[in-house]
Amino acid sequence: MNNILTYRFFVTHPKIVILEWNHEPDNALLHKLIKFQKAILKEIKEVIQITQGFCSLMLYHDSPLQNIKDYKSRLCLIYNSIPSSPNKKGKHWQIPVCYEETYAPDLKLLATQIDMNPETLVEKHVSTSYKVCFIGFLPGFLYLSGLPKVLEFRRKEQPVNNVPYGSIGIGGRQTGIYTLDSPGGWYIIGKTPYSFFDPHNRKPCFAQAGDSLVFKSISIAEYLNLEAKHKKGTLKIKSL
Amino acid sequence: MIEVIHTGIHTSIQDLGRFGRQSLGIPIGGAMDQNAMKYANRLLNNPKHSAVLEMSFKGPKLLFHQSTTIALAGANMNTRLDGLPVQNLIAVNIKERGLLDFGNSFEGKRTYMAVAGGIQTPEILGSRSQYKGITDEGTISKLKLIPFNKVKFYSHKGARLGPPKTDSKKGIISVYKGPDFHLLPKKAQYQLQENSFIISIKNSRMAYILEEKVEHQIPSIWSAPVLPGTVQCTPDGTIIVLMRDAQTTGGYPRVLQVSDEGLNLLAQKSTKDCFQFQFRAV
Repeated sequence: MNNILTYRFFVTHPKIVILEWNHEPDNALLHKLIKFQKAILKEIKEVIQITQGFCSLMLYHDSPLQNIKDYKSRLCLIYNSIPSSPNKKGKHWQIPVCYEETYAPDLKLLATQIDMNPETLVEKHVSTSYKVCFIGFLPGFLYLSGLPKVLEFRRKEQPVNNVPYGSIGIGGRQTGIYTLDSPGGWYIIGKTPYSFFDPHNRKPCFAQAGDSLVFKSISIAEYLNLEAKHKKGTLKIKSL
Repeated sequence: MIEVIHTGIHTSIQDLGRFGRQSLGIPIGGAMDQNAMKYANRLLNNPKHSAVLEMSFKGPKLLFHQSTTIALAGANMNTRLDGLPVQNLIAVNIKERGLLDFGNSFEGKRTYMAVAGGIQTPEILGSRSQYKGITDEGTISKLKLIPFNKVKFYSHKGARLGPPKTDSKKGIISVYKGPDFHLLPKKAQYQLQENSFIISIKNSRMAYILEEKVEHQIPSIWSAPVLPGTVQCTPDGTIIVLMRDAQTTGGYPRVLQVSDEGLNLLAQKSTKDCFQFQFRAV
């Protein structure tokens, strides 16, 4: 890993600093972002929280920044001393998804749009390993990278009012799982019985940045079986 | 318990929000006008993070099953207790079976009702703030009961609070530059600094969309962190001011960041209200 990736330092509020990398998101940058966050939280006690984007970090401070120049060089020192050893390997999850029409209202439409038959589309969607880049947008919503280029397609012109939670969508260069019922502009190609956000759990999201996941196609019968277990609270998610 | 007879237009339970879990995509949330919310709590010697009722545009009708003390701050809502007018900014004793009736808001849009000891709904992920998907409901609902502790309230003898700093009539919202401000053409930068803006009908606890647009050619950005007060600019020039229930990341350029005071002031504004941004250095 190189240290050449430089970032822009920007103070947008007396307590908020944004760091931005002018770089296409890739695994090397992702690992750098994850390590840098850990190091900052360990070294700078004024930083009380960090949120992450594809190529940026937002640092929240407990009080207004006093000496910005000093602060900037402290950060720089931390950044340059990030060890180049590889990250601790993230967990790998297998997410069961039912791609049958009942749960995939837009599968045929999207297949037609990208000139592919629905079976091939599903085949391509399940044969890729996706990387969890960060969580954002909705509680527990995973930003995933790795969508095969042939499946990329612009979002719908008009968002749909209520996409049920668990729906798997494709929009632009991304694929993802709706974690709450919400409006959405992505093409819905399937649904998982797993819950990606449980506000009553001390750890409300099971996946985290740096993890990876694959989708596994299941039948309606398997979906219903897992859904029943989920409702009883006996469905446990295990990493591979 | 407080029984909800009518809900009002948008009434929800709020405290200072769920800070610290944005990296899980969990919005901060919390009272829109935190100045007024903290003020109402101070009037009752409550801790400043105690949960209160946030009432917007038109308030609810509430029946108190036990006696308690409340305090109101923020917009005026022609509030009546058992038919008699109740003032904002003082501690008000309520008897068992007291009926508190709020009207339409004026001098601001949101009123905060603190209860001695604070509202005691269960904390979820460190906060009582209502947000659908985290709490069961996003607002209070009819005939539901709102719990509070029976705490005897003692007012400080002779102690008086100065008037709250918030002046809802003020149309100046102070802002800092956002990380993408420099990408705007000079004309758009000038418009943001010099023009007045009107809040469109599309405004909620999540975001205010403004009526005026600014012209620019900035492409969408890689989704990046945002927070309450971040001002985004969509590809067609629409200006979106993110409010307390804002999502945690967004893909539109971030042109401004509203100051803490500015965000409290905006909370007291709504559809058709006009304001100007005032730039500030960090």
